[in-house]
Amino acid sequence: MANPRELDKRRKSIRNMRRITRTMELIATARFKKAMDRAAAATAYTDRITKLVADLTQAGLEVSHPLLEPRDATGHAKLLVLTGNRGFCGGFNSSLLRAGLSRWQELADQVPECSLEVSGKKGIAGFTFRDQSIAQEFTHFEDKPAFGEVEVIADRYLNDYTSGNLDRLDLVYMKYESISRQSVAVETLLPLGALVDDAGNEAGAETSTDRGTSSTLQYEFLPSPESILEEVVPTSFKVKLFKCFLDSAVSEQIARMIAMKAATENAGELIKGLSMQYNRARQGRITSELMDLIGGVEALK
Amino acid sequence: MSQENRDSLQCVVVTPEETVIDVAADFVAIPLFDGEVGIGLNHSPMIGRLGYGELRIGRGEDTTRHYVDGGFVQVADNQVSVLTNRAIPAEDVDGDVAAELLRSALGRKASGDEQLTIRERTQAQARAQLRMARKGLSRPN
Repeated sequence: MANPRELDKRRKSIRNMRRITRTMELIATARFKKAMDRAAAATAYTDRITKLVADLTQAGLEVSHPLLEPRDATGHAKLLVLTGNRGFCGGFNSSLLRAGLSRWQELADQVPECSLEVSGKKGIAGFTFRDQSIAQEFTHFEDKPAFGEVEVIADRYLNDYTSGNLDRLDLVYMKYESISRQSVAVETLLPLGALVDDAGNEAGAETSTDRGTSSTLQYEFLPSPESILEEVVPTSFKVKLFKCFLDSAVSEQIARMIAMKAATENAGELIKGLSMQYNRARQGRITSELMDLIGGVEALK
Repeated sequence: MSQENRDSLQCVVVTPEETVIDVAADFVAIPLFDGEVGIGLNHSPMIGRLGYGELRIGRGEDTTRHYVDGGFVQVADNQVSVLTNRAIPAEDVDGDVAAELLRSALGRKASGDEQLTIRERTQAQARAQLRMARKGLSRPN
């Protein structure tokens, strides 16, 4: 027979835990909303830069830029893995780590010189545990990555790329598809395959549908289309990287929200079960005490 | 978007983080890479590269001033889209910080083309901010 006091203690501790997980869920929900707003605000910029690129290509400009072209030989590669700083978010960090590790092995097999960069304490801990040396660590990205901070990293990559110290940059992050769907994405950011996400598709769609109106616009380019393109390509890379950071932040909050919601529900069920056990044990004890009493009375007769 | 709009000029300033300004305007002055360009109603379509400097949006009597930090501008259909990395309201531009930035940029040793361009860029940014901060002081409003 279980000890009622033990059961009561356990029930109390689970109740405390439920309180904590519920608070964490609420915090994650609030942070998720903020992160979501930021991500939505960022699309205004990407939309416009996509349109600008579309208009540039319509001007009959050959889109060519060193950042867009793949290198003949990949001598130096870099892998950047975006993870969270904190745990308690379900499979978020572990699935990123798994994808990151497998890509890292692939790169290490193919490319002579690789370096690894990880953002987020959980990722750093995971890679060091597996004895992988990390070239650069970032832990200052929380739920609100700022463009200025991402730009510093992007500039470094761009400089490395142009000076030939980097031929390929891969990124592992959690891509946000919808509130109920996020997936691990492994993407090659450098060389940039196409300008801005889906720029090719959208530009293509625009030329076919808006041919009558917008393609008749003759833009004046100051100073020249080439010079603008030269500036657009690095910018679009920076924005792309920034978008990945934003996506990752949003996904982390969603993952935490869902994990904490599940934990809270689970705790509720545990409490229910424990309460039942506790009541049964208490009743059992009362019954046995009664039996003792009755037995005593019987013996006295 | 491609609708012809002939009555008013719309000015939108976006940074990667947010949309800073989205207002109707009579006149917009934009710092291009080689000097300022003014845009009024029915300006011809244009795509330009921005420099560092002051963006002025005039609406009636008021003028709002912002410091923009490079980027692009696209003008079409009476819509002015300014894409920039940073847009700071003029009153928030700190002259002291800019002066310090300029001093450190001038004192920095640079070797190689890349570092030289970075130094020049920092100087240009600092000078533009300084200019704006001084302007703000001499014309309190």
